[in-house]
Amino acid sequence: MMGNLLEQMGVDRDRIHFSWISSAEATKFVDVVKEISDKVRALGPNKKFVKDYNK
Amino acid sequence: MDTCIEKIRAIAADLLARGTVEKVIGFADGSIPMATRPIAVSSPKEVEKLVFNSVCGLNLANYVSKNSLSKKEGKIAVVAKGCDARNLVTHIVENQISRDQLVIIGVPCTGMVDKRKIAALFEDEITGFEETGDTLIITSSSKTETVNKADVLRHNCQVCTHRNPPVYDVMAADPVPEQTLEQPYADVDHIAAMDADARWAYFEELTQNCIRCYACRNACPLCYCPTCFVDESSPQWVGKGQDTTDVATFHFLRAFHCAGRCTDCGACVEACPMGINVRDFTRKLNKDALELFGWEAGLDLDKRPPLDVYSPNDPNDFIK
Amino acid sequence: MRFITIDKKNWTQGIDQSRKTYQVFGPVRDENGCQIKPLAVDTHPEMDAAVTVMSPKSVLFPQTEKILTATLDESKEDHHIMKPVENGDIPRVVLGIRPYDARAVQLLKLNFDNPDYQDPYWCEAYDATTFVGLGVTHPGPCDFSTAVGSGPFNEEGLDVIMADMDDKYLAKILTEKGEKWAAACGFDLAADARESQALFDILRKEAEKQIQAEVATDQLAEKNILDLYEAPFWDDVAFSCINCGTCTFVCPTCWCFDIQDETRHNTAVRFRNWDTCMSPLFTHHASGHNPRGTRVQRVRQRFMHKLKYFLDKYDQGIMCVGCGRCVASCPVNIDIREVCNRMNDYETTK
Repeated sequence: MMGNLLEQMGVDRDRIHFSWISSAEATKFVDVVKEISDKVRALGPNKKFVKDYNK
Repeated sequence: MDTCIEKIRAIAADLLARGTVEKVIGFADGSIPMATRPIAVSSPKEVEKLVFNSVCGLNLANYVSKNSLSKKEGKIAVVAKGCDARNLVTHIVENQISRDQLVIIGVPCTGMVDKRKIAALFEDEITGFEETGDTLIITSSSKTETVNKADVLRHNCQVCTHRNPPVYDVMAADPVPEQTLEQPYADVDHIAAMDADARWAYFEELTQNCIRCYACRNACPLCYCPTCFVDESSPQWVGKGQDTTDVATFHFLRAFHCAGRCTDCGACVEACPMGINVRDFTRKLNKDALELFGWEAGLDLDKRPPLDVYSPNDPNDFIK
Repeated sequence: MRFITIDKKNWTQGIDQSRKTYQVFGPVRDENGCQIKPLAVDTHPEMDAAVTVMSPKSVLFPQTEKILTATLDESKEDHHIMKPVENGDIPRVVLGIRPYDARAVQLLKLNFDNPDYQDPYWCEAYDATTFVGLGVTHPGPCDFSTAVGSGPFNEEGLDVIMADMDDKYLAKILTEKGEKWAAACGFDLAADARESQALFDILRKEAEKQIQAEVATDQLAEKNILDLYEAPFWDDVAFSCINCGTCTFVCPTCWCFDIQDETRHNTAVRFRNWDTCMSPLFTHHASGHNPRGTRVQRVRQRFMHKLKYFLDKYDQGIMCVGCGRCVASCPVNIDIREVCNRMNDYETTK
């Protein structure tokens, strides 16, 4: 629901990810972090919800 | 509408005379046109102050959460419209008040009027407001307008499907017919149909006049946290000014704290001095709660809200 | 002082001409009410707009104001040196300001410009601003300015006061600043002084008659502060209050603010934001103690400050100009007129 509300507000749905990872699942953690980093980086810098003191 | 005020007063007087409750929380006439104010009456002779009409737009459940009640408080009766009663149910489920501390005076409601829509019919300030049945007569120093209540209902009342309190101790009038709507969430869909940047711009424009007064939050019965996240100072999570990011963060996160709990009572919009439709944030969540969990808040004393309890059927295809 | 008439046909042209000198502010309607806003080049003030939801105090005292900036980039020579923000002294004119709002500015001045301390940001803005008022011919139901030292045609704090005469404005230029403004607009059609003053007097009487406020403040000064503080009616007054900041933010005489520094990457900014005594955080001490931790205490504080502490301290009347915005905007319709009367009439039972 959080992802949906963010998307409704215009934030790309691919910028927020959810995963259940136990502390015993180190490899899964690495894989998920890599996947998220790649996906978000591909979207480029985000300007929404980011403060801009020059405005 | 049958304002059933005589019945409300009689019920209140009876409850107070018998000592069943220590006070009755209801509405009283305001000091300016189109205004009512929440009051607490504690003796039978005061019940004449109680009123009920189409400008009782606030949610009285706001006055019975833990931080509003003193520990020594006895039983309290609350005049509750459909949405207000749902919030009372939510309060009970969330342990803010116990069922036996409350006497719910249920009032079937045909809607509250949108004061801004009415004010927009005039160039100058309104000096008089009268209501008989479904007709409203509104005056200013330059003219008088007669309108049908149905034409100036608040949006949340137009799409309301719970006009009758689902839980009550005594009803002040006969139930009114419930509406069935083809597309109750047309407003949410309208926004969803825009592209991402247009949606962001929509919400930015929506909140551009926000003065961070927190009237929306404080009028909301769900917002009962002893210290709200925006009032935390160590650490401070959100800036206090009108920076658009801070404003967006406040509204987004407040809405999310109400996810699966909001009854769309409209008190937030009613309270807002700038008339901002903050329901655009909460209604998306209400729609999701309905579609993803089959859930509407405050209808059943024995069910917990979806974000409060795990069920194996919960949608989880978004989780890696 | 002198009188001029301004034909309404020349009004917008004059305003546009004045934009060479002034940044223009005035009332505009939007779907949610009337607001005072800076007017872009092709917009003009809606002089017949009803009372604005927010007061013009934001022209001198914005809700969020950047007051200092610094770079944190240590490769720059001036790193960590906080500098004031430019352009605080651009001349401004507020058109259509109501007389009670102009008096409110003078009350704010007691706080921001006094022998002990002059707030540089507020004072700079005040010196740069010209107030062109419009007399209120039809005071609304929330207006009680006459009961509290102001009125629909009062001149206190104004540089020019205008009266709407249907097809023209009759303007009384009160100060040097007012003269400069009229010259910048090219408004120069003189009007007979005696006739004009007589007209103003009639309009004033007519307008004042329409205010039916019954607000008594005459006994407040002699009441004992502690008696009022301990009075039993505060629980009743405060019952419905939801402790939002609406009354304080719409009020033209409320002046409290909070200063915070924020940083991001290599930029540091010091902001001044409006603050409200209605917020629990307002009096929250670093120790965790909060002397006004309950709602009733905060509600009492607001009315005691407005109607008693300020009165005793400054001897300028109460800290209220009768604009009625708090009455109109309070979500639960707490009415300062009623509270004032309660305080004014309060007798201890000793």
